[in-house]
Amino acid sequence: MRRSGRPSLRRRQDMDTPDSGGKTPLGRKTAETGINFTSSTRFSRGLTFIRGHTLFGQSPTRRIIPQTSLLQENADSQKIAFLLRKQWTLYSVTPMYKFSYDNLKEYSRLLSAFVAAEKQKGLAVEVGNDLGIKVTLSTILGLKGTDQDQVAILVQIASRSQLPFENAEDKVVWSGWFCCISGDDLLESVPEDFTCLSLFLANGAESYTAIVGSWFQKTFDCYFSRLTISPLNLAWMAAMWTGCKVDSHIAATELVFSVPCIPQSLDISYAIHPEDAKALWDTVQKTPGEVTQEEVNLFMDCLYSHFHRHFKIHLSATRLVKVSTSIASAHCDGNIKILHSKHLIGVLMLLTELAISQIQ
Amino acid sequence: MDETVAEYIRRTVLKIPRHEIMEMLTTWDFLSKTQLQTINMHQIKESISQEVVELCEVITSIVNDQTMSNSHNFVFTISGIFSCITGEETDSFNLADFKYNFKRSLRSALKNVTINFREYEDNATWIRIAWGTQYTKPNQYKATYVVYHSQTPYVFISSLRNRIPLLCQALVHASNYHDIHEMELRSRCLDSLKDIVFKRYCQTFQTYHPRPLQERNVAPEKVDPRIIQVNKREKERIQSVNQEVFGEGLQPKIEFAQYKLETMFKGEPEMDILTEKEPFRCVVKFSSPHLLEALKSLAPAGMADAPISPLLTCIPQKARNYFKIKERKGILSASCLGP
Repeated sequence: MRRSGRPSLRRRQDMDTPDSGGKTPLGRKTAETGINFTSSTRFSRGLTFIRGHTLFGQSPTRRIIPQTSLLQENADSQKIAFLLRKQWTLYSVTPMYKFSYDNLKEYSRLLSAFVAAEKQKGLAVEVGNDLGIKVTLSTILGLKGTDQDQVAILVQIASRSQLPFENAEDKVVWSGWFCCISGDDLLESVPEDFTCLSLFLANGAESYTAIVGSWFQKTFDCYFSRLTISPLNLAWMAAMWTGCKVDSHIAATELVFSVPCIPQSLDISYAIHPEDAKALWDTVQKTPGEVTQEEVNLFMDCLYSHFHRHFKIHLSATRLVKVSTSIASAHCDGNIKILHSKHLIGVLMLLTELAISQIQ
Repeated sequence: MDETVAEYIRRTVLKIPRHEIMEMLTTWDFLSKTQLQTINMHQIKESISQEVVELCEVITSIVNDQTMSNSHNFVFTISGIFSCITGEETDSFNLADFKYNFKRSLRSALKNVTINFREYEDNATWIRIAWGTQYTKPNQYKATYVVYHSQTPYVFISSLRNRIPLLCQALVHASNYHDIHEMELRSRCLDSLKDIVFKRYCQTFQTYHPRPLQERNVAPEKVDPRIIQVNKREKERIQSVNQEVFGEGLQPKIEFAQYKLETMFKGEPEMDILTEKEPFRCVVKFSSPHLLEALKSLAPAGMADAPISPLLTCIPQKARNYFKIKERKGILSASCLGP
């Protein structure tokens, strides 16, 4: 049972001095500090790694703030607008073997046939009836962090319009896209024939996701797995995204906590006015251009202690399950919704990093 | 009979599971026994419902008892009626007058309404109102329910946002009271709202002096054999303090509580944070199938201090679950500001 203790900056500074590399502070009494139940970075406290070079999947202690990189010149703005304001389910994908950008049409054809075949399984249908389903693979230009990043791929399943006239539009029933933003570290270690598109986002029926996923897995010998987001990473997102400058459609920073281990389920939503949240973050964030674990911890501790002062409840003992900001919202089950095109690259960069650390 | 009403009855009967139809029709109590006996229960449901509609042709008052018994489907708000002080108050509540005045007042403002009354044993008068507009017939599917206990100054209204002024006006007029205002208390469970407002739950009394721990005949807990040491004293202290602030017995059932905080941010003294004079604005929402029980279990689970904040425990006493908290000279206070 956790002892209640008030978070104190002094104690944290004690733990801040790095130990001789590699010593895990497991020996320390974690109970005495009574802070940040969700933070697992105590284990990597002694290792000051820059983003990307994480050891055994541990979370980095600092991350570079992505410059509000406007999308590259030739960005496909219509497609990119399509990606915004939708709920996407996240997957990490291992590098694909012998995937070629020249064969997209061929892949579209094969995947269409595969989807039709899977959908028809068990149905007595005449041969040749294609159920009016069309699959298209295309590239999305402009979604790159660095020049080495592979071009993003969009897969869409559309059902052919039942209407008789010529220009009747097909209705998109499922979409999924692959991308890899600033995935340099992975790219370095991967042999020639592999394409790294580590992040996959899907919107639409789960059954279609499974079908498309299994086709890619079979064809390119890769592996898809659900990308869940830990409370630690959600806290990072809350801090980093609150700090982003937003000009329009400003929304509150909302954190949703779920309380475990009690007979009745309890959810606590803690929404902070965007100006006040940003003011708090600006006071906390000292190093220009990068965010450190300490800053994220401090930000969260401030929010927790303000809450505790009113309600006497330790939010740090509960589980952070969802974070919503003006930029984007993320759920621990691995769902994301991105709201601003200006910050799309930054969000994708963070998610790519999470995907890569999951597959390594 | 009105077409829309006939259609409404037909659809309602169709929704009832076949084996429960006869039971439901009997409880509805607007078809006589002989009429009920004439219904052939062995045909398809469509035909059964059609027969019921035909039998209902002569009925003028329809009250959907099925929805009423499922009163947990609605979110009820409470309105409290201030008592009149000018002496126009009638001593005895006359139901007939109330109904007449209510209907008249509402109809004078809006022609297209269906109003039905139903009295229950516990002095509760249920009013069902289906709203239409100037040009459209009343929508029977989105009716508002009003529960009025004539001996109390409380009215419970199932949620509807835009008709409240009209409804309140009619209520005030009919009940001869002076004024009406909406309380900041909402829940899905009507009985719990009644419990809170009529003070039917087990109340707590604030004590400021620590009491010695009382011996209680508690059955020994099943203790996990891996636990080698338990801080029994602390555990018992938490239990007893928790009982004090929440009271013994079952808590009234509410589903959410919302706090709008406009207090100053105060971090630890060592944190040199936010020295501004502006309040730190946030909105906190708690939600749970049974909120008060969940809050009660937080301290024993170690996730909250014991005693937990009075902002949470005062919900039944203050009969509200929407709060606005402002700073008051360093001491927190829940100000009972208007909505």
